[in-house]
Amino acid sequence: MGSWLDYTINGLIIGNIYALVAVGLALIFGVSNLINFAQGSVYAVGAYIGWTCFTYLHTPLAVTALIVVVACAGLGVAIERIGLRPLAGAARIAPLLATIGISLVLDQLLQIVFTPDPRALTSPLPNWRISVGGGTIGALDLLIAATGIVSAAVLYGFLRFTKLGWAVRATAQDRDAARQMGVNTDAVNMTVFAIASALGGLSGLLVGMYFNHIDPAMGFQATLKGVVAQVIGGMGNVPGAIFGSLLLGLTESYGVAIFGSSYRNLFSFALLLLILVLRPNGLFASARSTPPEPMTGSFVTPNRPVRVPRWAIVAAVVIAAAVPLIPAIPYVLQVLTNAWLFAMLAISLTLVAGTLGQISLGHASLLLIGAYASALFALDSHWPVWASIPAAGIVTALLGTALIAPSFRLRSHYVSIATLGIGEIVGLVILNWESLTRGPMGVTNIPPLQVGNIELDNPRAAYWITLGILVLLAMMQTRLLRSHLGRIFRAIRDDDVAARAHGISLGRYKAIAFAFGGFAAGISGGIAAHQYSYINNETFTSTVSISALTMVILGGMGNVLGAILGAVALTALPEMFRGTAEYRMLIYGVALLLLVRFRPQGILGTT
Amino acid sequence: MRLSRRTLLAAAAATLPAVRARAAEPIMAGVSGPLTGPNAQYGAQWKRGFDLALDGINGAGGVKGRPIEYVFEDSQSDPRQSVAVAQKLVADPRIIIELGDFASPASMAASPIYQRAKLVQFGFTNSHPDFTKGGDHMWSNSTSQAEEQPNLAGYAAKLGFKRPALLHLNTDWGRTAKDAFVAAAPGLGMQVVDVEGYLAAEQDFRPTLVRARDSKPDGLVLLSYYADGALISRQARDTGVKLPILAGTSNYSPKFIELGGQGVEGDWVMSTFFPGDPRPEVQDFVTRYRKKYDQEPDSFSAGAYDTMVLFSLLCAQFGTTREAMQAGLLAIKDVPSVIYGRVTFDPATRRVLGANYKLLQVKDQKFMVWDGTPPAAG
Repeated sequence: MGSWLDYTINGLIIGNIYALVAVGLALIFGVSNLINFAQGSVYAVGAYIGWTCFTYLHTPLAVTALIVVVACAGLGVAIERIGLRPLAGAARIAPLLATIGISLVLDQLLQIVFTPDPRALTSPLPNWRISVGGGTIGALDLLIAATGIVSAAVLYGFLRFTKLGWAVRATAQDRDAARQMGVNTDAVNMTVFAIASALGGLSGLLVGMYFNHIDPAMGFQATLKGVVAQVIGGMGNVPGAIFGSLLLGLTESYGVAIFGSSYRNLFSFALLLLILVLRPNGLFASARSTPPEPMTGSFVTPNRPVRVPRWAIVAAVVIAAAVPLIPAIPYVLQVLTNAWLFAMLAISLTLVAGTLGQISLGHASLLLIGAYASALFALDSHWPVWASIPAAGIVTALLGTALIAPSFRLRSHYVSIATLGIGEIVGLVILNWESLTRGPMGVTNIPPLQVGNIELDNPRAAYWITLGILVLLAMMQTRLLRSHLGRIFRAIRDDDVAARAHGISLGRYKAIAFAFGGFAAGISGGIAAHQYSYINNETFTSTVSISALTMVILGGMGNVLGAILGAVALTALPEMFRGTAEYRMLIYGVALLLLVRFRPQGILGTT
Repeated sequence: MRLSRRTLLAAAAATLPAVRARAAEPIMAGVSGPLTGPNAQYGAQWKRGFDLALDGINGAGGVKGRPIEYVFEDSQSDPRQSVAVAQKLVADPRIIIELGDFASPASMAASPIYQRAKLVQFGFTNSHPDFTKGGDHMWSNSTSQAEEQPNLAGYAAKLGFKRPALLHLNTDWGRTAKDAFVAAAPGLGMQVVDVEGYLAAEQDFRPTLVRARDSKPDGLVLLSYYADGALISRQARDTGVKLPILAGTSNYSPKFIELGGQGVEGDWVMSTFFPGDPRPEVQDFVTRYRKKYDQEPDSFSAGAYDTMVLFSLLCAQFGTTREAMQAGLLAIKDVPSVIYGRVTFDPATRRVLGANYKLLQVKDQKFMVWDGTPPAAG
């Protein structure tokens, strides 16, 4: 019994910590309908500002906290003004992508300025502790709890009782109407970003002190947990975010208690999915509340796509096929082979995200499923590689569709978060299902690509195979989009209520799209497994999902050719900046921001 | 202008450095490792180790008058990028050996490419038991878990542990280490009462520690990296776990104490090298490292340093071609090393045995050699 008290307390302590990030995310989402992926980076910046103050200025905690709050508020204003406001008229997806770019840039800047080494951020608070159960609670734990509760209370009061607060809520409900009533929505947005970033920075400082550990990569995990927590509480709901965080902390703690540490995040994401399916507006939303999202055209702004003449496409394919004939360096072939593999993932994602309007943030899990399926068919069932790869495509199509099926009734952001959760769950199941997947040791000695007894392990053969399969998949998808299926997909994307009124069964058509997408992604994962000869649960991580989404948006949502172009561009860009070593991801981030800024509908436009 | 003999001579002299430069063309190693991304800190430590070794080697005239250099290709320790890097390095005729990558998925995905090109892939942090089975050109001087864990278990027994609980990073590395420790324990009269594999990005260990505590162990063994090791030890003290803590070699880093503070005071850490070790190669490494970087070295920088020294000796003794590297690794004997006493590769496993293992204890926020005092009853 005593242990359960300890688990409860430990759950509340870590929940407390998640709450700090979740509140900032909830505030921004409530006003801008935007999942701010840069929130975690602001949090890391806050931690490093705090470290600098402690180390060089020797300021006391109160002064340090004030400096962090002011500096991060300024950073928030800059993010809104420079990064997001210019995108106001663009596709709704553009700001999301911009926050990903900003997050990349901030993380890389931190790493360059402060080196990637973790640092200690030692708490200057007195070191007294109270015994509770078997463990203890310190001054810092209480300070963190107080910060979370006070900031939520202050925000609540601000939103309810002040004039600016009304303006914020009015903007959240209907930006255009608010503007008609004389609300300066830009100022409102800026205020919200300032407040959320100030809070984010302060949480970074406190959490850094709690763990006595800060590093430039600390933001991503924080964002992930914050997003989960605020979904549980209800997207955009500030008190709900605190409750959701505590519930998340408790779930993790009890999950570890019952099943062990290796299952920890499995429970957080399972809870997330459960809540999404049962109560998509979060535990705190009242049944009557209007959906937080307009029903139609949620992400993709219609525009006129660039028409690429057929002869140009044929010429491009011929040129691509001829590349290995020039005595090129194999390095270029390898980079392009990677690009074709990524392009298969991208056309899969552009189908579900662009054509169908279901933004997936967990697409890398399809690669994992495909890679494991093909590797295990080849090794454990002794199938030849030419059979195991298509089989992997089919397995991925079935399994991927089955996993996403319960979330078919969700819309827009909720789909993204559900897929994010599913993606993490797939990785954790692979880690823990040792009898099938060999757990963390991964699968070794995967046979290379071969037909019969001829090993196709030279870069040229791999290049031609991947290019050929890609062209085939792309042609199939183009054909699909021209058929009545393509029109139905777009109808579901543009207005699912109208589509349903026309007698379209949403679930069935979503399943077709996800199955087709899963097949392409599974093939890509399968080929990769045979190329690498070794895979484990970390071979395709959530950063791959984010890159794939970036490619799709860059090429133009729903645009098959655009997805391929995006994949080539974003695989080649970091390679081109290779000479700049530590700076290359920074340059990549800046390039991404510029692209989003000047061509938010993507290079080839949405279709 | 009249051409005098003097101007001609001057012109001839001006071309001389170019001639000399060609004679002193650098010997190149290719490095595939993380400079950005979540593992960038380890890449940064590698660079420090490499650069320090090269200061010494090139400062003394290089190898037969040629300086040694390396190109560090950032892979983010990501298999997609490490295979591209591999193609790049393989195609560059100047590169005669490849060092890295950091994590096994990245290294092993690139192995087939190096093997095909007959370029030695020297994965000096790859302890995955299958890494060197990727082909006869895969070599590693990473300490073998099969050798290291029985040593750690031996020290656990010396500290009086009978019922240790084991916390390990749930990756290929942590799993290999855990299995080796658990296998060695019964022979030393120990029974491992609890095994907790935690996830790679984890920072909160309080529930894990409560679970470990409930198995009633008499000591905690950490198979972790220094950053998580420090977090675990701190949080153990906060959750009221007063058990003695013994941590494996990858915890040996000044960062362990910096990040752990009072939370790691009294912890035992096994290490392959110790700055107080009187062996001249260790003293040389440590004093120069401190002077150059104004910080203490750790096992990652020591591994990188050892590797670069080994590379220079291979070049000096066996020549500067790719074939020479492979032949040299098969033949080279008794290479001086910071981590090992002397390095000789086992030609069958292409790994090194015989690392020095020392038990250190954190005392007054410093690593000291353990004086043999057993832990106070927890």
